[in-house]
Amino acid sequence: MASFNLYSRGDRIFGYANATLIGLFVLSTLYPFIYILSVSISSGAAVTSGQVVLLPKDLTLAAYEFVLSDRLFWIAYGNTFIYTFGGTAVSLAIMIPGAYALSRARLRGRKILNMMVAFTLWFNAGMIPFFLNMRDLGLLDSRLGIIIGFACNAFNVILLRNFFEAVPKSFEEAAKMDGASEFQLLWKVFIPLSKPAIITVALFCIVSRWNSYFWAMVLLRGEEKIPLQLYLKRIIVDLTANDEFASSLLTSRYSFETVTAAIMIASIIPVLLIYPSIQKYFNKGITLGGVKE
Amino acid sequence: MSAVELNDVVKRYGALEVVHSVNLNVERGEFVVLVGPSGCGKSTTLRMVAGLEEISGGTVSIGGRLVNRVAPKDRDVAMVFQNYALYPHLNVAENIAFGLRVRREKKDVIEAAVKEAAAILDLTPYLARKPADLSGGQRQRVAMGRAIVRKPQVFLFDEPLSNLDAKLRTQMRAEIKRLHKRMGVTSIYVTHDQIEAMTLADRIVVMNGGRVEQVGTPMELFLKPANAFVASFLGSPPMNLLRATVVSVDGEPKARIDAADAEAALLRLPKAIGTSLRADQRILVGLRPEHVAVSKEASGDVQEIAATVDLVEPLGSEALLHTRISGQPIVAKIETPADVEALSQIGRLQIPVGRLHVFDAESGKAVNGHA
Amino acid sequence: MIAGYFKRLGEDLRKDWQLYLLILPMLLWFMLFLYKPMEGLQIAFKDFSPFRGIAGSPWVGLENFRTLLGDQIFIRAFLNTITISGLGLIFAFPVPIVLAIMFNELQSELGRRFSQTIVYLPHFISVVIVAGIVINLLSPTTGVVNLILSSLGLERVYFLTQPEWFRTVFIGSNIWKEAGFESIVYLAAIAGISPTLYESARVDGASRWQMMWRITLPCILPTIIIMLIIRIGNLVEVGFEYIILLYQPATYRTADVVSTYVYRTGLQGTQYDLATAAGLFNAVIAFALVFAANRISRKVSTTSLW
Repeated sequence: MASFNLYSRGDRIFGYANATLIGLFVLSTLYPFIYILSVSISSGAAVTSGQVVLLPKDLTLAAYEFVLSDRLFWIAYGNTFIYTFGGTAVSLAIMIPGAYALSRARLRGRKILNMMVAFTLWFNAGMIPFFLNMRDLGLLDSRLGIIIGFACNAFNVILLRNFFEAVPKSFEEAAKMDGASEFQLLWKVFIPLSKPAIITVALFCIVSRWNSYFWAMVLLRGEEKIPLQLYLKRIIVDLTANDEFASSLLTSRYSFETVTAAIMIASIIPVLLIYPSIQKYFNKGITLGGVKE
Repeated sequence: MSAVELNDVVKRYGALEVVHSVNLNVERGEFVVLVGPSGCGKSTTLRMVAGLEEISGGTVSIGGRLVNRVAPKDRDVAMVFQNYALYPHLNVAENIAFGLRVRREKKDVIEAAVKEAAAILDLTPYLARKPADLSGGQRQRVAMGRAIVRKPQVFLFDEPLSNLDAKLRTQMRAEIKRLHKRMGVTSIYVTHDQIEAMTLADRIVVMNGGRVEQVGTPMELFLKPANAFVASFLGSPPMNLLRATVVSVDGEPKARIDAADAEAALLRLPKAIGTSLRADQRILVGLRPEHVAVSKEASGDVQEIAATVDLVEPLGSEALLHTRISGQPIVAKIETPADVEALSQIGRLQIPVGRLHVFDAESGKAVNGHA
Repeated sequence: MIAGYFKRLGEDLRKDWQLYLLILPMLLWFMLFLYKPMEGLQIAFKDFSPFRGIAGSPWVGLENFRTLLGDQIFIRAFLNTITISGLGLIFAFPVPIVLAIMFNELQSELGRRFSQTIVYLPHFISVVIVAGIVINLLSPTTGVVNLILSSLGLERVYFLTQPEWFRTVFIGSNIWKEAGFESIVYLAAIAGISPTLYESARVDGASRWQMMWRITLPCILPTIIIMLIIRIGNLVEVGFEYIILLYQPATYRTADVVSTYVYRTGLQGTQYDLATAAGLFNAVIAFALVFAANRISRKVSTTSLW
């Protein structure tokens, strides 16, 4: 007896074609990562002579040894950790209470304050006035400036506020009748109830802190305070043109290409480590704060 | 001294007044139920007692103390919410203890109180569970536990059973009643379910459109509704109300049922109220379905009226008869006879004159005889 | 009346003082880091000198803007901004829509979750690394692209030094980085379509191809329109942090946009007044566009962007 087929032949062909196309897209997304990884663990000679296309040649960790022995790499890595986790902690410490207050109807001037926050989504003073302001505040070339200066953004505040607003009113009323103070209400009721939103915002903060380089480039002077991305930028972009430096790196064991690839992999790994939890939460985050009907 | 006293309490949202001058005295240990259709102001009234809504006018006193400007936590009341407001991140014991924790009670005091409450509510085996792992009835009990540990002067309940299915609701209703008997704490309970009101209350407050329609014991309200609204709100199925016009007032007061056609039936009304009626007065004649009979067994002054049967709904031991008298619908609740089919052939209903209620059609107020 | 208001205000402040304490740090932050800089916008109308300070510098009216509009480089940067955005709109905007529909048509739940996990990933990678990857892949000597070209007997191309290649490289790598992630919005919209629509269509004998065109696409059209409006609202914003990494003087002709112009003249040069004016010029246009976009989207759907 012929088995019953839920789909017609045309439908099945459509399905295969579709799966193939997605497969191609996935491969082309994946390829650069694999390529960089392969370059980073190949010998310098193999890369320079154009032998590495997909898989590594002459497996070696020489590039990593070179990178890991660079003092500046560790300084930059450490700085990035400070900026990422210190910055995220400061961000949450300022935004969570603020967004909570904004979500309460009894807050006087709530409308104006909400507009004040939303307005910054669409208009800001711009690069130069921001820079001059940081200079006036004495936050140039300062770790504190990097941490404090980028602590809040309207999108995250609104996301948190919307989530707090959606907490059923009776939770607050019950806690109030029990005699909870405003601080207790936030700490013991709203924060535990809003864990998904808070984790989402924390992940947004962590990722954007980890990845940012621009303002560090503008605000920081010396080498002691720069984050990893700026270190990367200085090596990859600024030195690419600098043939002298590039050729100075050229030995048979590692080359400019393998070294930069190794730094890139070292910078991607922490992102990959938290990526599963990002996966779990950002879908929620998008529906929370993004396009909602 | 009353446990809770409301004097001319008013609630306004801007220009819109939603609760008009409510007066109520709740005695110590009394169980008072506020009942009415949704939007009648019963919840708002309760929330003003709780302190969750500002009082726009009038006064609320709890235990003889004026509380208009007292914060909810200082009113010595505890409240059970419709959705229970259980914290999902806390287990049962922590949920029950929450109110004591935020008041920074001593650890051993909290522990003892939680234990005691759990024992009362049969929650002891579940103390370590999270709300998500509890059944609806258990969650409901945890919500009550949170109120009990506070040992308040007054319990407030805001539709606590409406999230439960019908069977569980009956069960929890009995439990609330048992709990009240045992603890004797003054309680104010809001519901839209008249059966809940009838079974739980020492006194019922029927509200409608932001006003108190009537206050009294369940039987007072059932037997002597002050107006057509109360009459039709309590009882299931609700009281039949026939539109009619008074034709004679002396001796034997009578009314003609309003009908499109001329052959409208005449109804005899109770003699005692004759003097309170005037000729041509438009009235509503009320008759509880369970007082309508189909055979002549009824004793006392009974009149027979022609009726046509639209529909028979057998409910088991009882049956509902949907009929018409002079075109107006009237429901009868009778014992199911052996021959259900025959019911649809019945052409006449027996109506006990003494059990008729009469309301003025315009004001809705009950017309009572001058004794 | 007024006295009563202040009395109530005082009462509320006393009653809810903790609430105001909670918002205070954030309020201060917004004031200090987003609103106070707006004071600095006045230098767009001044002949600013750091030594004299903002207040001490003389007003020059619209002089800076006149200079800008007479500056070929600024005009070029402005036109480049719109060109790059416009090309992105044409080539990059449809990709996530197509991707979302394709994901939706994928039968295997496991395959779908796996492929989504992969294509979202580049969004979380920094632009510095993306630029590094691009530089690596396009390198004239060791880059894969040129290796392939030369093995095909074609001439090697110095992609990053040639103005005519810049836009392709920029938009192409942006698609690689963001298209997967942007498909989430459309996938969410698709998830909201009632399955009964598909079931009844199947009972009616519709093929999957037909269902895609007649059910999926029309149902997510409102989302597409909203995203399109947002995109048009952002027409004068381009990812300059990424451009700065990729461009070089040789490619300024096509790569230089307003933000990079501001960065170069203001922060690398020190013509603060001119750079501020350029930034303000762009910001005002951006604000007007976004404002209009929001107005339109409010009309098109019930969804408003703020």
